[in-house]
Amino acid sequence: MDLTKLRLERRGRFWGKEVMPYLGYVIQSGVAVLLLFLLIAFSAWYTSLVQHIPEGLPIRWIMLILFVPLTVNSSFRTYLQPADTVFLLPQESKMSQYFNASWISGVIYKLLGIALVFLISWPLYVRSDTHPKAFWFFLIVLVALKLLASYGCWKELRMVSRRTSMAYRLLRYVILALSIAAWLWQPAGRSMIFILLLAVTYFVALRIPAKHLVAWERLIAQEKTHSGRVLMMLGWFVNVPGRQQRIYSRKWLSWAGNRIPWKPEAAYRYLLMKSFVRSDIFGIVLRAGILGALLVWWTRSGMLGSGIYLFFVFLAGVQLSSLLRYHSESFWLHVYPIPPGSRRTNAIGLAFQIQLLLAVLIWLPLLGTGAGRLGTAFMTLAAGVILCLLFRFFAGRKKTADDDDDE
Amino acid sequence: MNGNTVLDIQGLSGGYSLNRPVLHDISFQVKPGEMVGLIGLNGAGKSTTMKHILGLMNPQKGEIRVQGKKREEDSETYHSSLAFVPESPLLYEEMTVREHLEFTARAYNVARGDYEERADRLARIFRMQDKMDSLSTHLSKGMRQKVMIMCAFVARPSLYIIDEPFLGLDPLGIRSLLDFMVELKEGGSSILLSSHILSTIENYCDRFIVLHQGNVIAQGSLQSIAAQAGTTGAGLEDMFYTLVQGRD
Repeated sequence: MDLTKLRLERRGRFWGKEVMPYLGYVIQSGVAVLLLFLLIAFSAWYTSLVQHIPEGLPIRWIMLILFVPLTVNSSFRTYLQPADTVFLLPQESKMSQYFNASWISGVIYKLLGIALVFLISWPLYVRSDTHPKAFWFFLIVLVALKLLASYGCWKELRMVSRRTSMAYRLLRYVILALSIAAWLWQPAGRSMIFILLLAVTYFVALRIPAKHLVAWERLIAQEKTHSGRVLMMLGWFVNVPGRQQRIYSRKWLSWAGNRIPWKPEAAYRYLLMKSFVRSDIFGIVLRAGILGALLVWWTRSGMLGSGIYLFFVFLAGVQLSSLLRYHSESFWLHVYPIPPGSRRTNAIGLAFQIQLLLAVLIWLPLLGTGAGRLGTAFMTLAAGVILCLLFRFFAGRKKTADDDDDE
Repeated sequence: MNGNTVLDIQGLSGGYSLNRPVLHDISFQVKPGEMVGLIGLNGAGKSTTMKHILGLMNPQKGEIRVQGKKREEDSETYHSSLAFVPESPLLYEEMTVREHLEFTARAYNVARGDYEERADRLARIFRMQDKMDSLSTHLSKGMRQKVMIMCAFVARPSLYIIDEPFLGLDPLGIRSLLDFMVELKEGGSSILLSSHILSTIENYCDRFIVLHQGNVIAQGSLQSIAAQAGTTGAGLEDMFYTLVQGRD
């Protein structure tokens, strides 16, 4: 069996048959145009920032916050399927042929991404830092750290013990954060020695835990998560049927939805709330909310704060629009006596309420501007509420495939 | 139609394609407090019949009434009157066992107090007390099947459609299920049950419907089936074998 060819075929099938057919809709969708507009707006703002850099800009912290996640986060598309535990298991000893391409593509695209962000951030860095590092030297350090993190992540995936794997994940975060911090704050020579020592120690430490030859179940679960994320992103623009997402148990949120009225009309809302709090979307919306609130706090004294606020309310709306497509193919929703029309009403209502809550929470930092700008702050809140209402209005008008079953 | 009938199927023909119907003019009834076994070889049309009853497929000919109502007349009342246990468990990965039961109870408008009492009892009967707060992804196949059964039983409709319920259940689970079905039947509920384990269901079902290649080839009590098969003193398995043998 040609395992390299098999992976290539699977990759072609995923991108060619599952993703490509939707790209046309993505380009046509209004959201794509708006994102393009936001990109242009960001470019204009960034150019102006680079030309008029504020005094005392914490550029080292900005570079640290920018590059730690970019170097640490590693993932690999294996395109493995559940049936592989039966049909590919006999090939286990030769699976390195299959995974080589996964490793290479998993690293190369991310390196390109890092290089792009580095190129964009370079003008700001080189003009703000009192002792900037050399361009190529900085880029090589980032590439080397990315390779180290990817290697570590790949080894973690093969570890027998889940707990050990989690501990090593934490270790990867610490080592990468320390390395980048040392590189930013310390002289080049000293920081290089520190990074090398850390890397060697990490490299040796990775050899200690027991590992599977191929961690089938974990790799299959990871693949499901990654393909689910790609389809989820497509779902922001167009209705993608049959996509699966990773589920997080989040026991601390198990109370959510329990107070929803006990009646058939609200039964779907109960299901939706439970699905939401254990979904990827919840994590994304939560992270976006925290980041949005921090940025709004940081820029609260100018109009930029209002712009960033509205952008994050918009972003939350785009993410929450996925709720409308949840369970569109659910078997039980055809069998259970759920009142016709209640699915759509519940989904729109829940997405609106969550977006509105977020709009209020992200707005709170604007109150820190003091009494002088309270008027602007309340106008911004009003704009945020109108944006939420617009999302609700368009969601109500949009006809989706599940309406046919629902009404 | 008989007014004292929970499920009434008359002249049902249907399938995935108009040109090639899977079911051919089948008719049968299930009365209150009756447990009826729907038996047949693989591909005989058992699951297709159930899909038609559930409203997942539309009849090409004939009609289906549950509690005297057709699905087109009042979908909500129709669906409130029946619960289904599928052959393979279909669970929401993002919900725990308890949440599945609660979602079902909410959808079927079961009073909260009744739900809590039934959920506790079902968890005890099916030995699932320590799994009630586990996500469905963390359950074994047999446990997932138990959740499906518990969901159907928490709803307490007048008709249960149960497709191959014993697959994946441990012996104690099978016994609990059979005992519970008897209890429901004695309480006036009706059950349409499909299974290949004929030796088990022959002692529990009041009547049997034998499907073969989409046709009802025999129906009635065990004695009546024996008479139609021309076998006396034999078990249901032998009667079934006699009935389908040579009909291909």
